[in-house]
Amino acid sequence: MSYVKNILERKGKSVWTIAPDATVRAALIEMADKGAGALVVIEGDQIVGIFSERDYVRRVAKTDDLGLDQPVRELMSHPVFFARPDQTVEECMRVMTARHFRHLPVLVEDELVGIISIGDVVKSLINEKEMTIRGLENFIAGSSVNH
Amino acid sequence: MSTVKDILMQKGQQVWYVTPETTLRDALKLMAAKNIGAVIVLDGHDVVGIISERDYARKVITSESLSLDEPVRTVMTSSVYYVTPEHTVEECMNLMTTKHFRHLPVIVGQDVIGLISIGDVVKQILSEKDREIESLEDYIWVNMI
Repeated sequence: MSYVKNILERKGKSVWTIAPDATVRAALIEMADKGAGALVVIEGDQIVGIFSERDYVRRVAKTDDLGLDQPVRELMSHPVFFARPDQTVEECMRVMTARHFRHLPVLVEDELVGIISIGDVVKSLINEKEMTIRGLENFIAGSSVNH
Repeated sequence: MSTVKDILMQKGQQVWYVTPETTLRDALKLMAAKNIGAVIVLDGHDVVGIISERDYARKVITSESLSLDEPVRTVMTSSVYYVTPEHTVEECMNLMTTKHFRHLPVIVGQDVIGLISIGDVVKQILSEKDREIESLEDYIWVNMI
């Protein structure tokens, strides 16, 4: 069974953040710089939202306005769903697919220690299943030899 | 081994598209209305590009004068990789992860018959592996216990 902490061990704990009063322009530039699809929105040391490319593009489609000078606060998604390091990857997959989230921040107590994406989750699940398959195949091969 | 055909059978063959002259406004509205992250750009029957949420979000910050009245061709990605219904899902996954594409058009002859996303591919791979695990477990139950 794989856990959120296993993903964080591999990908590191860096999290890209932005303040709620930053402009949408600044947020989009930060995403492009970091090659990220979303930023965690932090006020003081509280997580107040997530802002993604999709949040932005959907808003433009709705309002017909580029809105680059608006504060992130106006467009971000909240409340935010979190994961804990000791949660299984499968649980995260369920939450993400049911609610159509591409990202989950990871918290210990109230502290942000990382973020996992649907890509991370999927990679981990595929690995896990491949290991199970190899294990079962080895079991069958090993037992056949003994017979 | 699952192929692109299996994915299309599940998700249907509805293809949403725009033309190179469609305005950005209309392309973004189409994506929002259909809840999709990208649409194919067709010139007649030819696929000339793909435009995604990301293409737009990246472009809008480098050209501040970008207007929603501009045509899709100014923002679309025009080098497009595509697949046929016979490609395996693993081949698609490799193409998508090495080239960093989230979407691949599916072509038969000259015609586009679908667009598959990384989400579609992943779902298919996971369920394929689940079936493999089940059949190995069945084999063990029947033959070895």
